[in-house]
Amino acid sequence: MVALPAGRGRRPRRPSAREAGTALLFVLPFLLLFIVFRFGPAIAGAVLGFTDYTIGGEAGFVGLDNFRRLVEDSTFWSALRVTVIFTALSVPLSMIASLAMAVLTRRMFRGVKLFRSIFFLPVVTSLVLAGVVFTWVFSEGGPWSQAMGALGLPAGSWLADSVLVIPALVLVSVWSRFGYGMLILLARMQDIPAELEEAALTDGASAWQRFRYVTLPQMRPALFFVAIIETTVSFQAFDTIYVMTGGGPVRSSYTLVYMLYDQGFKYFDLGYASAVGVALFVLTIIVALIQRLTLGREK
Amino acid sequence: MTDTLAPPAAVTPDPPVPPRRRSRPYRPGQPSLVAKIVRTGLLLLGAVVTLFPFYAMVVLSFKPAGPVTFPDSLLPWPFSTEAYDQVVGAKSVLRWMWNTVIYSVVSVVGVLLFASMAGYAFAKKRFPGKEAMFWSFLAMLMVPYHVTMIPTFIIISELNGVDTYWGMIVPTLANAQAVFLMRQFIASLPDSLFEAARLDGCSEWRVYVSIVLPLIKPIMATLGVFVFLWHWNDFLWPLIVGQSLDMRTLTTGIASLQQENVPLNMLLAGSVVAFVPIFMAYLIGQRYFTEGVSTTGIKG
Amino acid sequence: MRVQKSLSAIAVALVAALAAGGCGGSDSGGSDKKSVTMWIYPVIADEAKHRAYWDETITAFKAKHPDTEVKVEIFPWANRDQALATAIAGNKGPDVVYLIPDQLPKYARNIEPVDAYLDDAAKSDYHENVIKSVSIDGKMMGAPVLTSSQPLTCNKKVFEAVGQQTYPSSWNDLLAMAPAFKAKGFDITSYPGDIKNTLNLTFYPLLWQAGGDVFSADGKSVAFDGDAGRKALGLVKQLVDGGYTEKSLITTQPPVEQTRLAQNKVGCVWHSPTSELEKFWGKENIKVLPPLTETKSVAYGTVGSLSMLKGAQDKKAAGEWIAFVSGAEQAKKYDLSSNFFSAKKSAGALYTSDPVLGEMEKFVSTTTPGPLHEKARDVQGVLAPEIQAALLGKKSVDQALSDAAKAANQLLG
Repeated sequence: MVALPAGRGRRPRRPSAREAGTALLFVLPFLLLFIVFRFGPAIAGAVLGFTDYTIGGEAGFVGLDNFRRLVEDSTFWSALRVTVIFTALSVPLSMIASLAMAVLTRRMFRGVKLFRSIFFLPVVTSLVLAGVVFTWVFSEGGPWSQAMGALGLPAGSWLADSVLVIPALVLVSVWSRFGYGMLILLARMQDIPAELEEAALTDGASAWQRFRYVTLPQMRPALFFVAIIETTVSFQAFDTIYVMTGGGPVRSSYTLVYMLYDQGFKYFDLGYASAVGVALFVLTIIVALIQRLTLGREK
Repeated sequence: MTDTLAPPAAVTPDPPVPPRRRSRPYRPGQPSLVAKIVRTGLLLLGAVVTLFPFYAMVVLSFKPAGPVTFPDSLLPWPFSTEAYDQVVGAKSVLRWMWNTVIYSVVSVVGVLLFASMAGYAFAKKRFPGKEAMFWSFLAMLMVPYHVTMIPTFIIISELNGVDTYWGMIVPTLANAQAVFLMRQFIASLPDSLFEAARLDGCSEWRVYVSIVLPLIKPIMATLGVFVFLWHWNDFLWPLIVGQSLDMRTLTTGIASLQQENVPLNMLLAGSVVAFVPIFMAYLIGQRYFTEGVSTTGIKG
Repeated sequence: MRVQKSLSAIAVALVAALAAGGCGGSDSGGSDKKSVTMWIYPVIADEAKHRAYWDETITAFKAKHPDTEVKVEIFPWANRDQALATAIAGNKGPDVVYLIPDQLPKYARNIEPVDAYLDDAAKSDYHENVIKSVSIDGKMMGAPVLTSSQPLTCNKKVFEAVGQQTYPSSWNDLLAMAPAFKAKGFDITSYPGDIKNTLNLTFYPLLWQAGGDVFSADGKSVAFDGDAGRKALGLVKQLVDGGYTEKSLITTQPPVEQTRLAQNKVGCVWHSPTSELEKFWGKENIKVLPPLTETKSVAYGTVGSLSMLKGAQDKKAAGEWIAFVSGAEQAKKYDLSSNFFSAKKSAGALYTSDPVLGEMEKFVSTTTPGPLHEKARDVQGVLAPEIQAALLGKKSVDQALSDAAKAANQLLG
């Protein structure tokens, strides 16, 4: 997805000034909006990380103090660990669910469109609402706990257990996100020339073999795109955690974004909060680069 | 919350000449009956798991205030509309709905317009700085929302946009993911079309209006529904920018009716009320992307 | 590339200038009419009633100050700090805002002392503890309009069901009664330990009752790790370990009606407002008692006050509005409509005929809203998880408190 457009035969000539000019005109409105409302605030946010800015106070430059404090802050490292574990669990699970549902809804049989729209529904549901409902689902007398009890697995509220709370939150995250990945992967799947699979079929390949050796490799760019987006979203998970656990029990669901929120809007220490934000940003970039190296090789 | 995304729906690239042929639907190796049953079973399971929270949400909102037990509370009785009376009875609901409609609809138009223009440029044109711009769009997605919230608000307030429609709408138009998706979609349109148009002497704007726009209708519909839904659900930004009562949206307005400890049924009722209109929009628009688009092909 | 680079450079410079240049300089009014904007929250549960109250109040105010326009915006409770803080940062805050003591230290830099705007009679009419609860460095940072009190409230029905004739007045009573409650399937009390809850409502009352305090006298270090703190946390731990309180509440916060409290399975609590309890217990079952005693008998009580922001357009007009709304007569109306108590001595008892509210009202003058320390919230942020750890058995009481104290003292510098 991050490749240059895969046109049929790239023309090696350089763009004429006129062509570049009109192209820039098309990009201009979005670019301006982006610079003013995304790029600018992001830079401002990063700059704030080097200040001791509090609400309504002045922003005094303090150099690396916030970052030094961050490194010595055990809450930060705990939040980092929680964030990484949460993402490491939810992204693959979400992608597997997306892939599975994409495969299952690939063919045009009767009712497939209904299934697709059902699976997409959670994606457009407010996370706060999802959090409220799932708090009940995972509560002591709720359906999940009852089901777990019946299966002999730990019953009792998973949200109150410092080990099981992350899996519970991961499940909510997967529920709310898998439909999105499903549609992207589905669209890509339908892009794969049917001839390739037919050729494999005539060669005697089973469905699984066709999937593994023809379909999956073809889907690499889409998988990469989904991986990056899901990771970015996962790293910034906040609304559901806020509603469901408040970061507990005992900080076991306290993510970096939660720390950012607390520092910024509970303690009003925006300088420090921005430092956390910078750390989160750097983390996301690093992971994205890793994903690019492993998954994102362009065709 | 970061900007939410709409899925791309790529068109099956047709060979250059002749272009008009429906792409073939996936058909190799029809599944056996067993496979079909397994498939249906899994899909039904998935559907139940996906829909269960929605069912719970609706059923529990039509209950009188009180403890929720499982499984009894999941039955539609005792039935009570007391939670809804409070929410719908609020006299400003219409005003809130109007504000939300404006916020959502205008944003959708803006996002679709600017994202398609930019997406077209990224997909089919060459210009300096293209790669750098692209990567910076992606990188900015990774900045947490709470960090940019205050600087964005400061900018809007310096421009005197607080408590105005445009102040609420404009920052949300910088939707990078929309650009990504437009770009991906447009990139798979055959270059030959553009060649032909240019040879015919069309201006770039005409190419955009007469060729690109009609062809990207499916992705516009998909993205449109998605952006609409996200704006409709948005709470924090309208809360911050829309300070006066006149500018409340459905989400913030309903929240202003609630006490600090909101009973479950009222919480859910408020959410359902906000959700119903968008659910309608969803039903209307979802057919565009659930069709998977590849069956639409390129129309002349 | 060059075009894009220079554009970005300009944008960055612009934004940096905006952000760093500070938020100084309020909007120049320029108009003859004076205006006051106030932000309030759903203090009165019924929105229509709330709106009507303010419309009436504005009309009454205008009769005395015809050249002042007043606008009252009712904001949701949810995310109010985010909305307010952002507005202040962007210089778009209101002139007057409703704050509780917990918020005052955080906004201290942004609000004006109101002493100058209230006349002496008004100030001396306030209860002593009420003035203390809104004062920082001896200056009143808000004009109180309502108070609440949270002594001990017990469920008569539950006590009857257990066959308990007397009500607890001390910690020992509580512990002594607990097994009997458990035997009949009830909890003697409940302890909401979710980090989202303020410790002012849950843990601190116990700390105070044991004679302790959160901060040391000079405010430079914490004091909750002393004997009193250990006793207080020890009490809760005993309740948890003995199975006398709902375990899941230590870490999660379901909506109230989902808890055993609402199902009439809990004997006594000190953290739930009676407006909630009424719904589930029935008003006739609420028994109001003095707060539990260990060394002292102390309860939490909040104070709602109106503060003036430093960025207020017309401070004189805002001051007049504040003085008017917080005046004895006007505030009394508000208190009665919202079922809160008065902050003023002259109001007397507002609820003499009400068995529940009338009883609770008696304790108003002995309540405290918690420490008004700048880092009070931060300290809660490190103490609450440690309390959870102790209650869940992951750490000993001593360990938890000393870890919390260590982290808290670091925050205090």
